[in-house]
Amino acid sequence: MPSDLDAQIEQLARCEYISEEQVKRLCLKAREILIEESNVQVVDAPVTICGDIHGQFYDMMELFKVGGTCPETNYIFMGDFVDRGFYSVETFLLLLALKVRYPDRITLIRGNHESRQITQVYGFYDECQRKYGSSNVWRWCCEVFDYLALGAIVDGRVFCVHGGLSPALEYIDTIRAIDRKQEVPHDGAMCDLLWSDPDDIMGWGLSPRGAGYLFGGDITKRFVHDNAIELIARAHQLAMEGYKLMFDQTIVTVWSAPNYCYRCGNVASILELDEHLGQEYKVFQHAPPDVRSVPLRRPPADYFL
Amino acid sequence: MDPPTPPLFRDPLASPSSKALDLDEPVRATDNDAALARLSAVRKGYLVDPFIIHFVPRAHLQPPRPPLINIGTYIRGTGLDELVESFIGLATGQGKKAQIVSLGAGSDTRFWRLHAGTSREHLACYIELDFPENTTRKAMAVRKSKVLSAALGRSEDIQIGDGGTSLHSSIYRLLPLDLRLPPSVSLAPKLAPILDPSSPLLILCECVLAYVASAASDAVLRWFADFSSSNDGVTGVIIYEMFGLEDSFGRVMKNNLKSRHVELPGAEPYNSLDSLRQRFFRLGFEEARALTLRDFRRTHISVTEQMRIARIEMLDEVEELELVLQHYAISWGIKLSAKQANAWLEWGIAEKSDEDWIP
Repeated sequence: MPSDLDAQIEQLARCEYISEEQVKRLCLKAREILIEESNVQVVDAPVTICGDIHGQFYDMMELFKVGGTCPETNYIFMGDFVDRGFYSVETFLLLLALKVRYPDRITLIRGNHESRQITQVYGFYDECQRKYGSSNVWRWCCEVFDYLALGAIVDGRVFCVHGGLSPALEYIDTIRAIDRKQEVPHDGAMCDLLWSDPDDIMGWGLSPRGAGYLFGGDITKRFVHDNAIELIARAHQLAMEGYKLMFDQTIVTVWSAPNYCYRCGNVASILELDEHLGQEYKVFQHAPPDVRSVPLRRPPADYFL
Repeated sequence: MDPPTPPLFRDPLASPSSKALDLDEPVRATDNDAALARLSAVRKGYLVDPFIIHFVPRAHLQPPRPPLINIGTYIRGTGLDELVESFIGLATGQGKKAQIVSLGAGSDTRFWRLHAGTSREHLACYIELDFPENTTRKAMAVRKSKVLSAALGRSEDIQIGDGGTSLHSSIYRLLPLDLRLPPSVSLAPKLAPILDPSSPLLILCECVLAYVASAASDAVLRWFADFSSSNDGVTGVIIYEMFGLEDSFGRVMKNNLKSRHVELPGAEPYNSLDSLRQRFFRLGFEEARALTLRDFRRTHISVTEQMRIARIEMLDEVEELELVLQHYAISWGIKLSAKQANAWLEWGIAEKSDEDWIP
């Protein structure tokens, strides 16, 4: 398998998608590995933490240029690998192949887009149909989504999650009790971890996204204190400068999709934690817009005209 | 940047798709975007509009647009509807009927929606102007659809003119026109005979002035304002378009649209809400206001309605939505003559009362 897998990684790294049969085997193997992981995966520093990618394959290649390749660099990806961009298939399969090849050097956390319902609205389903002529690849990938970790904890001090906190979860340990192997529910603790956002409010608020909650600085600081951690790293929200620290640096949003949707004009970043959990944010730009980074017959970016 | 100047003498053998016409095609095609977006928002349940389907060929085959576009289309449509209704209400309050002229109207359905509602008896006339290619298409769609033509009266009262490029009925007219030409040769001969200068006049500019050089659009707005106010009338203007394109989002937008051969010369001078208001003051309007779509969504749509909208498709990304929405604005101005009541200065959109946001 490793030599096969290395060939697949090479192929995917050229942004060429692999055969349906190869996807099927890759997904099966990935599930075997992910099923052994806990809901909150324990990770050692040094590690590099990444936010949303959203199928922007060539921009993810910029990320690896800035952050180093896997397995040389230890990575945590905090979800939203798919949807929106043009290359969700290649993006997710490359990350998954790296996970299978180097399971201890890359951690994949589930984002709210790693869901059957959301991928049918925001592009991944259609992309699988277009590239493989059937929904099989989408179905296998969704089965893998159900096994992805809900969070990670670095050296017991930095909690990584895609969205944020939940009123149903006071302690990180209580996350371990969730039965995560299911489609993302519409409400409840698992949903909140993937959907919630920090906001300049006190306490909890209703999320304009229609799922999850808004949580204030007081909630964030209490969670950090009660769990004896120093930082919550999360993704989920576009940050024009690539990252955004809030609430006296107790929480940070890391965003890794530059010029998001080929429309937003933002820069992206990754967070490097050294062995002492010292933070360094590395900001990067989108890939040069050559013929490869956007398909020739791409749909135009959407505006109100 | 100046718009392309049409050649004075066109080669009579050149096909209609000769180069000079082609330069405008990308801008004309933006109407297609707008119609598809509206159709999609209606299908998903954001908006109610039984008429848009009649303007989209093979409507049943059109795929839905992304949620962000649906939501933005809803916000834009709702905001403009409220302003138009508020204007008609003010006219009615003074015992007058409103006249509406829509520039670059494209496939807009507003006339049919107003006609189907309570505003019908408060409307003196509704005139739509656009490129002849667009008016021809719309005139055909209106004639083909029983629903659309029924609103215009008896079929013998509906006339097609100018080689199929115009349509006339007692209340509704569709006229071909190039807004880049001086108003004295474009607007004046067509509109002066049919508008009543003493009745309130509302000009709608929905994503149209941005495509035209400022000098030309200023001349158009000035013509309307002078037309009414020199005759004891009142002119209201609503402009909806992108603005503030000097930042990184705006630069990406200009580049992306350039790849579709769409330029936005008319948006260049407007980098703040205040600059949008100043446009009206510069042209002699008495009052002017401006609101981004982002602020309209935040403060002018009730929380209940916001929650309904958020749930239709599970809005996945609020920051991106707000980033896009803050680059579009609705601005509106009023030009009074000496005899007009100050009530007109109150023309606007009401803020929605905030209900409790308790989960």
